[in-house]
Amino acid sequence: MSKVEKIKLLKKRYKAERRFKFYGILSVCLAILFLFILIINIFSKGSGAFFKTEILLNIKFDEKKLGLNINSSDKEIQEANFEEILKDALLVLAPKVPELKQAELIDMVSIDAALEVKKFYFYNKGVLNKIAEVPLTLSDDLDQVYKGNFPRDIPEERRRFSDFQLKIFDDQISKNKIVYKFNWSFLTNADSREPELAGVASSLAGSFFTILVCLILSFPIGILAAIYLEEFAPKNKITEIIEVNVNNLAAVPSIVFGLLGLGVFLNYFYLPRSTPLVGGMVLALMTLPRIIIPCRAALKAVPPSIREGALALGASKVQTVMHNVVPLAMPGTLSGTIIGLSQALGETAPLLLIGMIAFINVVPATPIDPSAVLPVQVYLWSESAERGFVEKTSATIIILIFFLIIMNSFAIYLRNKFERKWS
Amino acid sequence: MRFILEINLRGSGRDMNEKIKISTRNLSVFYGPKQALFDINLDLVENKVTALIGPSGCGKSTFIRCLNRMNDVIDLCKVEGSIKVDGKEINTKNTDVNLIRERIGMVFQKPNPFPKSIYDNVAYGPRIHGLAENQEILNTIVENSLKKAALWNEVKDRLNQPGTGLSGGQQQRLCIARAISINPEVILMDEPCSALDPIATAKIEELIDELKKSYTIVIVTHSMSQAARVSQNTGFFHLGKLIEFNLTEKIFKNPDNKMTQDYITGRFG
Repeated sequence: MSKVEKIKLLKKRYKAERRFKFYGILSVCLAILFLFILIINIFSKGSGAFFKTEILLNIKFDEKKLGLNINSSDKEIQEANFEEILKDALLVLAPKVPELKQAELIDMVSIDAALEVKKFYFYNKGVLNKIAEVPLTLSDDLDQVYKGNFPRDIPEERRRFSDFQLKIFDDQISKNKIVYKFNWSFLTNADSREPELAGVASSLAGSFFTILVCLILSFPIGILAAIYLEEFAPKNKITEIIEVNVNNLAAVPSIVFGLLGLGVFLNYFYLPRSTPLVGGMVLALMTLPRIIIPCRAALKAVPPSIREGALALGASKVQTVMHNVVPLAMPGTLSGTIIGLSQALGETAPLLLIGMIAFINVVPATPIDPSAVLPVQVYLWSESAERGFVEKTSATIIILIFFLIIMNSFAIYLRNKFERKWS
Repeated sequence: MRFILEINLRGSGRDMNEKIKISTRNLSVFYGPKQALFDINLDLVENKVTALIGPSGCGKSTFIRCLNRMNDVIDLCKVEGSIKVDGKEINTKNTDVNLIRERIGMVFQKPNPFPKSIYDNVAYGPRIHGLAENQEILNTIVENSLKKAALWNEVKDRLNQPGTGLSGGQQQRLCIARAISINPEVILMDEPCSALDPIATAKIEELIDELKKSYTIVIVTHSMSQAARVSQNTGFFHLGKLIEFNLTEKIFKNPDNKMTQDYITGRFG
């Protein structure tokens, strides 16, 4: 080979190297770009749901209209009617309006505004017979107007709010009576038909209970199965078949587990429908192979010399495994478990089949109360037409992603902190 | 009869007061269909160091792993023949291997301290065998074991640090301390210095010399000079057979077998 040919060949090799590098960087950039677009999209749509608009209304807590006095019991307050004083306060905003327009005026605040007034009175009993400024949730439509999601300049008949409502609303804005603040009720309220009242508390609690049940069931079973298969089971045809099928189980579509749960847990054992208990059991089935596989891998990675060292000291097989092998395999197992659980947290399909798609407007207190979970809540709201639910859908996704990131970071933290120290 | 047999086995020039600690008769080992050891007859003398030499794959390690039943761990491995410790057969189904391993400790080729603190490494054996009734006794056991392993002065101020953080030679001495913590009768050493530098090796060899006062030691080694330095008896293995077993001095100066001679002089191996 001549010198010229050699130089040519060398140049070709460098070129190939640069090309390969370029493709690599390109694919990484593409992946980051897609992720970026997704996150920007979700955040721009969903961040609004974390804020809400309220109107500060001067309400006169009239003793006679409420039928209460200063010594009224809590029960009497519960039963009292606050609608009337609310209506009176709203009418003050536009005195002398015709009867027809009065309904529009009342529609400006949320359907639960009277409840909010009651709650305000409950904590501020001193306001009886006085006028107090009470913050009330605005209706979803005006909330969306304030956030700029509804255009004002289209013809009135195609809008969800009237010119009259808009005029009063703008009037209140100019008087600084409209406040924009963090929407705590999104985190503390259960689901609702009204977008301005709907919150994720029920699905958050539902997800929490579901994952808890899933963890309690799948973690010990998965770990014991993995330890037995890896350390104690004889290596023969039967264990080989079991091993292959554990791997197969990890690849079974999740909806199949939902059907199994429906057929076995609900129709055969008559466990309560739509509950985190059954949801957690179904997800535990799905998570089991995802715990067994990384746990076995972690056990396999423990060097045999550690086992021999313990055995040579006269430790029994169980002592060897429990004292020396399992602690070393724990970090790998835990991070595998957390990743399995975070997959379970985002799972929707199997839960639809066991009825966790029901509309639940109370926060579940136990795992046997019917409830929704976060991904199903996303699914439910994404089907609703109201503009308010669009932003709540994205906001729920943000919450879901937030928890997934926390769980996965914890898994990475565990992996790094307890990285193999023996080699 | 037994007397004559022993004379034949042990060669000439022997002190007749020696006590046999472990003796194997017709010991054969199979890995599946492959036979790894052929009818080994060997006597290990109490409070002496026995070196086993031979080329790689000749069965030295397989042999010493039979003595504390460590071959049981390997699925396909089958051990046939007789192994007697103090005249009692241990190669039976009913033998409690955990008790055997408590009496016959082992140090491996690669230092394998547990990923625990130095203290816990040494305290592990006494703990699982319930040798210490209270913390004070356990502390004494740990201290004495580390002193016997000539490691105490180097680690006494950092007993709570991980054993894996020590140097290679220190790790191996920690493993020796771990082995003697349960006060065994025999210590098997499987090429204990092969992963160590010459200085660490010298320390271990010194230690072996010291330990033989209280323990019976079997050491597998690839280093002829090491065998010559530390042992009193030497056995030469080749292709799964015990070719020659005799006093170390005799083996290295005037072996009976031509093959031994060739191996020692470096003509094959």
